[in-house]
Amino acid sequence: MIGLTGRDIYVEFPIYNAYMRSMRHRLGFGKIAEGLNRLKTRKLAVGGDIEVGHSGKTVIKALNGISFDFREGDRVALLGHNGSGKTTLLRTLAGIYEPISGEFISHGHAVPLFDLQLGMDPDGTGMENIWLRGKMLDLTDEQIDQSIEDIASFTELGDYLFMPIRTYSQGMMLRLAFGISTAVTPDILILDEMIGAGDAAFIDRANLRLKNFIEQAGIMVIASHNPAMLRQWCNKGILLEHGKIIASGRLEETLSAYEKRPAA
Amino acid sequence: MLTITPTQFAKASADIYQGFLAWRLGLLLAWQDLKQRYRRSTLGPVWLTVSMSIQIFVMGVLSAYLFNSPIQRHLPFVCAGMVFWTFITQSIHEGSLLFISASSYLIQLRRPFTMYLLQNVFRNIITLGHNIITYVVVAIILVVPPGPSLILWPLGFALDILCVSWMALFAAMLSVRYRDIPMTIQSVFSILFWLTPLMYQPDQLGSKAFLVDFNPFTHMLALLRDPLLGGAPTLTNWLVVVAIAVFGWIATFLFFSRFRARIVYWI
Repeated sequence: MIGLTGRDIYVEFPIYNAYMRSMRHRLGFGKIAEGLNRLKTRKLAVGGDIEVGHSGKTVIKALNGISFDFREGDRVALLGHNGSGKTTLLRTLAGIYEPISGEFISHGHAVPLFDLQLGMDPDGTGMENIWLRGKMLDLTDEQIDQSIEDIASFTELGDYLFMPIRTYSQGMMLRLAFGISTAVTPDILILDEMIGAGDAAFIDRANLRLKNFIEQAGIMVIASHNPAMLRQWCNKGILLEHGKIIASGRLEETLSAYEKRPAA
Repeated sequence: MLTITPTQFAKASADIYQGFLAWRLGLLLAWQDLKQRYRRSTLGPVWLTVSMSIQIFVMGVLSAYLFNSPIQRHLPFVCAGMVFWTFITQSIHEGSLLFISASSYLIQLRRPFTMYLLQNVFRNIITLGHNIITYVVVAIILVVPPGPSLILWPLGFALDILCVSWMALFAAMLSVRYRDIPMTIQSVFSILFWLTPLMYQPDQLGSKAFLVDFNPFTHMLALLRDPLLGGAPTLTNWLVVVAIAVFGWIATFLFFSRFRARIVYWI
């Protein structure tokens, strides 16, 4: 049974460096309290709320009491302005950030696909990189072994697979990264913007592959600013603002709520 | 501050367990690190051996004259000492940079932290494998047979690995939060270098020989070096290293349990 459940999740980032120090610098010690008070009450257009705790520590409240329940078949679009908490929520769903408080339960193998080229070695051959990247994606040896032929035929790289990938053009590199990353579908797929492999001549095949890849996933969660793309892939929506969910439900409803919000 | 819940213990244990299950990825990444370092150079990883050999030769010969020791005895001593000292200190120093250098992986993938620790251990063992060749050559040329205590060498090696692993993990966690730690570690080691019997034999310190006994690295080094030189580590050496390994790991495990989930937040 695949599912992602969150109850009242909080994620806060402590800020240790320059910010507070430069505050002190600018205001002088006497004015610190005043400055901090101003900061406490300030409402910002972008980003999570910045708060100063009792100990004087600055924290950014990235997720502010988020609850959700995603089930098999859900294709969730995360909407919101820059810094509204989309990426933080994605990383929380992927199990990267453990919430400060609240409960998060994940059933199924969740794989975040943020940077398709993460872990690839420019001096390694295409083949070596299939293994490296496959391992990054948590694939087993058998899965990688079985995917090699499929990746080779999809990417049409031929003998280039035995060349160091620094000799590839950017398009070739992307084909390879995309080919490997979409070889095996995880239970739960987590995306920050839609993945793809540019190249005009290639786009139909890439889209077909992407369609198969995504359809097989139990749950997909994607953050994006592109309504047309979201309409194509998603059936549910969540609208975030300052780390809070301000609308959720069917995609169309959330999208219209999103489009009515004033631009930041 | 140091209240640790059972869940935190369970998650820290799970991290260590899953890290060991993923040991092959750790090994793959360790090789990858070394390959990337030496890719497209003609000598490749042999550079490790070459530069170490030259350094040891110069230091060994020079200090033999300086301390009036016979080269036959002194050079192998310096050589074995330096090879293992490099292993120990490099494991810890590179360990302190573990999470900082893996930061792009840490925020994009969910992997047990222990896997990155294993990567560090593997990489340094492979490097040691290259460097040890220098000693083998010196020992053959100068005819220095290992002592019978060589049988216990693997045990000493395992204990030392346990010690450097907790130190690396501890340093790695501190370093993500306080970025001055890696530099601090480096300067501490450059001081400890002189307080560890590497260039001189402890007995050359005369009545002050006890000074080096307070240095834990003296004992860690003895377990690895002495059997190769035909001697044997003392019981004190063994006991001290066992104590460092056990108590160090207990403390590190508590620390890891408490702050494991925070590591990603500190990046």
